[in-house]
Amino acid sequence: MSASGTSGVGDDFARQHNVNRLGAFVTKAVTLRRRQGNPQPRTVETPAGMLNSIGLQNPGVERVIADMAPVWAGWETPVIVNVAGETAGEFGALAAALDGVPGVAALELNISCPNVNNVLDIGQSVLAAGRATRAAARATELPIIAKLTPAAQEPAQIARACVDEGAAVICAINTVPGMAIDAEARRPVLTRGMGGLSGPAIKPIALRVVYEMARAVSVPIIGCGGIRSGLDAVEFLMAGATAVQVGTASFANPHALLDVIDELEAWLEAHDVSDVRDIIGCAQQFETDVPAPLLEPVEQHAAG
Amino acid sequence: MIRERAAVLSNEPSHEGGIALWLDAPALAAAGHEPGQFVMVHCAPEGGEPMFARAFSIHRRDEGRIALLYAVTGHGTGWLAERRRGDVLSLYGPLGKGFRLPDGAGNLLLVAGGVGVAPMVDLAETALARGHQVTAMMGARTASQLLPADAWPSAVEYVVATEDGTRGLHGRVTEHLDEYVAWSSRLYACGPTPMFAALADALRDNGRRQRPEILMEETMPCGWGLCYGCAIETRHGVRLCCKDGPRFNLFDVF
Ligand SMILES: Cc1cc2nc3c(=O)[nH]c(=O)nc-3n(C[C@H](O)[C@H](O)[C@H](O)COP(=O)(O)O)c2cc1C
Ligand code: FES
Repeated sequence: MSASGTSGVGDDFARQHNVNRLGAFVTKAVTLRRRQGNPQPRTVETPAGMLNSIGLQNPGVERVIADMAPVWAGWETPVIVNVAGETAGEFGALAAALDGVPGVAALELNISCPNVNNVLDIGQSVLAAGRATRAAARATELPIIAKLTPAAQEPAQIARACVDEGAAVICAINTVPGMAIDAEARRPVLTRGMGGLSGPAIKPIALRVVYEMARAVSVPIIGCGGIRSGLDAVEFLMAGATAVQVGTASFANPHALLDVIDELEAWLEAHDVSDVRDIIGCAQQFETDVPAPLLEPVEQHAAG
Repeated sequence: MIRERAAVLSNEPSHEGGIALWLDAPALAAAGHEPGQFVMVHCAPEGGEPMFARAFSIHRRDEGRIALLYAVTGHGTGWLAERRRGDVLSLYGPLGKGFRLPDGAGNLLLVAGGVGVAPMVDLAETALARGHQVTAMMGARTASQLLPADAWPSAVEYVVATEDGTRGLHGRVTEHLDEYVAWSSRLYACGPTPMFAALADALRDNGRRQRPEILMEETMPCGWGLCYGCAIETRHGVRLCCKDGPRFNLFDVF
């Protein structure tokens, strides 16, 4: 599936490609009110990646529903709307606005964007992340995906809190907070200083976080971060992801999403894997120092 | 959008600060484009860096071939300048919204600065073929930085200005607009931001009738509306350079 913010709201993508080949289309973040985004510069290319500070430019949830939901309803592929709020209440209001809208299959809670105030704070706190998830889950029948940041002290704990409060799926990871300095100007390149690092540079971080989370929660995990080939996708599946998203790679290669699908299928065939589920989490069986499953012991205590 | 792997036919300096790159790109050429549209060219070996392609407006076209005109400004264009005949580049396009030519025959004034001259030659060729009259003005610091006159179609009236007076009018091109603007029915410009600002000042009182159109430049990671990186602030709100532009009305931005 597309990673939020890297294929717009789908109209341009669907004009170029067969959108129905995707497992799902994830939209750019939608907020309650219109946001015009951050001033330039918004992006900086960095080694094996990029920093962005787009600032969630979007016309607001009502406009997006009016303009795009009828289009999405005509697609076979499910559309997941990525929503961003600055408070739990805003997440609840966004979920209520999207509840029951034909063409919307699920919500992805963006509690992990480093480019606007507060959003990242929610994603770094077990309590705040849980509250935002609960507010959204109570306001809609739609499945809730919590999209998490690797910047949290213990991302797996945040994942658990979100699942406890009603998230049906976890998506990891959003961008990694980073910075670029302009040596000539002697100042940060991005106006806000910090931006979100994405692309191949963050793949090892994403794999580690997915691997940890797969041990901490029993719901499906969507892996995201630096994926640009079928082989990258295979690695995420082995770490414990059930699906993957492709983001920055689409900027470098307009065909990246479809290439990843084709290459994944070719890899599975070349390795005689008839059911992709056979490799999901297969890298988990080895002794590592990554914390062991957290969920089960808690439940056992409760039971016994 | 066409994706093509195109062989380099030639890659030679046309003047100081401009390298003309001719590509054998039959699919792109056959797709057709509007003057002012651009292509994204990967300026690295496959999978290498810079990871993102760079945007270049189409400079000229000719039966199965297209030309770009660029200046070396960083790693990507530095790598591009080292390509030789037979090397293969991967690119995609044409992208964005190009210039709008008037329906009836018109007097078109083209104003260029720096490598902003690139799309102006394609615009001039297209406009002449559609029956318009074309005057092209180019400004530079000194004579060697001007696109040579023989790079333009011969039917174009080519007016140049240099800041050091080594050729043509003395001073900036935007200081010599009056008589040409008075003659023109439409005006198109491409160049650095300070040139647009000066143009807007010069035309605010007597250049609105010409509805001046400009080609804007902004960092473009994707080139087709995916990343929202290329935002431009306009009087009508924030627009994407790659998709809503790169052609904008001068007075919507300046
Ligand atoms: C330009 C840009 C915009 C993004 N916008 C959003 C967004 O609106 N919501 C969100 O949850 N994530 C957003 N992200 C994060 C991506 O969805 C993804 O999690 C991250 O980039 C890592 O994946 P990648 O390395 O494949 O790009 C954005 C990333 C980029 C590069
Ligand atoms: S360059 Fe990506 S949206 Fe314009």
